[in-house]
Amino acid sequence: MKNTIATCILLAASAHCAAEVSVIVHPSNGNALDKDSIAKIYLGKTKSFGDGTKVQAVGLNSGNVVDEFTSNVLGKSSSQYKAYWSKLIFTGKGTPPEGLDSEQAVLDFVAGNTDAIGYVDSGKVTGAVKVIGKF
Amino acid sequence: MKKRLIAVALCCAINGAAYGADLRINGFASIVAGSTTDDNMSVFGYEDEISFSNESMFALQVSSDLGNGISATAQIVARGNEDYDAGFEWAYISYDINEHLRLSAGKMRLPLFRYSDFIEVGYAYRWVRPPTSVYSFASTTPTGMSLLYTSQLGQWDSSLQFVYGRYEGKASAITDSDDSTLNDITGFNWTMSRDWLTLRASYVVAETSISLNNSAPLVGLSGALQNYGLQEQLSQLVIDKDDGSFLGLGFAIDYNNFLLDGEYTEIEVDNSLLPEQSQYYISAGYRLEDWTFHVTYEENDDKHPSSRFNQVPTTITLANGSVVPVSTDPSNPNAPLIRDLMNGALNATRVNTNTMTIGARYDFHPSAAFKIDWSRLDNDVINQDNDVIAVAVDLVF
Repeated sequence: MKNTIATCILLAASAHCAAEVSVIVHPSNGNALDKDSIAKIYLGKTKSFGDGTKVQAVGLNSGNVVDEFTSNVLGKSSSQYKAYWSKLIFTGKGTPPEGLDSEQAVLDFVAGNTDAIGYVDSGKVTGAVKVIGKF
Repeated sequence: MKKRLIAVALCCAINGAAYGADLRINGFASIVAGSTTDDNMSVFGYEDEISFSNESMFALQVSSDLGNGISATAQIVARGNEDYDAGFEWAYISYDINEHLRLSAGKMRLPLFRYSDFIEVGYAYRWVRPPTSVYSFASTTPTGMSLLYTSQLGQWDSSLQFVYGRYEGKASAITDSDDSTLNDITGFNWTMSRDWLTLRASYVVAETSISLNNSAPLVGLSGALQNYGLQEQLSQLVIDKDDGSFLGLGFAIDYNNFLLDGEYTEIEVDNSLLPEQSQYYISAGYRLEDWTFHVTYEENDDKHPSSRFNQVPTTITLANGSVVPVSTDPSNPNAPLIRDLMNGALNATRVNTNTMTIGARYDFHPSAAFKIDWSRLDNDVINQDNDVIAVAVDLVF
């Protein structure tokens, strides 16, 4: 773990850090989600899980994990992701997933809400949440 | 989290009590410095002295989710070229009828062009400003309603919007600021996107009235036509409850860091001083890490068809059988003919410009972009060209 962080710090200066991101939901959530459906949720194109439950998506405000998530799952840089949402926010067409301040906050939110979805560094995943995909 | 605290503080300050409603504050800002290189004509509002205020602006948006699909949003914009005199640009309530249908009512931007809705959110696009030949009167904000239908059609994301409303306010049509009214604004726009391709079509009609009162020569010309009882010709000049229409077609490609977009637009206000207008731009770009490099060519062609000229008679026969010239002063044989003045007025609306822009955007911060654009505008009517160099920092927060 320490090595990964050290590598990340080293790499972050020059290129993208190769951390793996886990997309997590509440343990009771039985929906299967592929990369495409996760992307649709984070781009505001889908607002419900497969079983019809309204989804509460959360993300992180900033950091490497955001960059990894947006590029690996959404195929966008974090700037492009921000630009995409600013078009929707300022034209009343949508509200982006709320950005939380820390991965712990994401874990707590997802563990505490049956309709939640979030993402954290794979190394931070705990038993209180269910991983539905690693990217 | 900080945003929430500010939101709560603001909420308390306004209401005297904190309500449970989920209040969001977002904002965007652009600080733009620019100048033309020559003093022969102003371009995009710039002269040959550097200006920091011409295109700079600051905006705050407050939106509140009231629950059950209802939300209220207000956007306050302060523009440098209006002395940062802040005003409500958007103020509307929305109701999510279901996951696919959103009904909004209030004051909203008229979604004519692809970038209309977010034309002031510089962070959302690559240029310092979207191509001005096309985006000439993009910031009209009528009051009315909009129905937005988003759906999946096979592999395509579809977004279909219907609008209805009314606009009463200033327009930059004859002079920089003319009283104008757009009644029964009715239109739709449809955007389809799939993977790397986006297609868009927009059509809007409105009963259009624009006052000529700020132009003394046009007031004089109207008066003269009136005095000669030339009602038909007068109606061809004034912009009074005339049928206006807007057609816009656009596409965008974002493929493996290659960007290509274009828009074509046609604007007409029948039987009025306003010419038939057609504009287009085509823009290519390439993304390289945090940089985007781009090149854009745009053209604007506004003119009256030849059938609109020479419609004013040169003489008129009075009831007593005498024939008098239709001029500014019938007693003076050398006075200018009204026909010539009318032809001159129609000709004065002629616009034929093309603009070439090269530029770069650098995403130097997760919420901020630096941009530099160099544009050359070529005015074929007066045979002049001038360059504008502008640098900008665009933020969203």
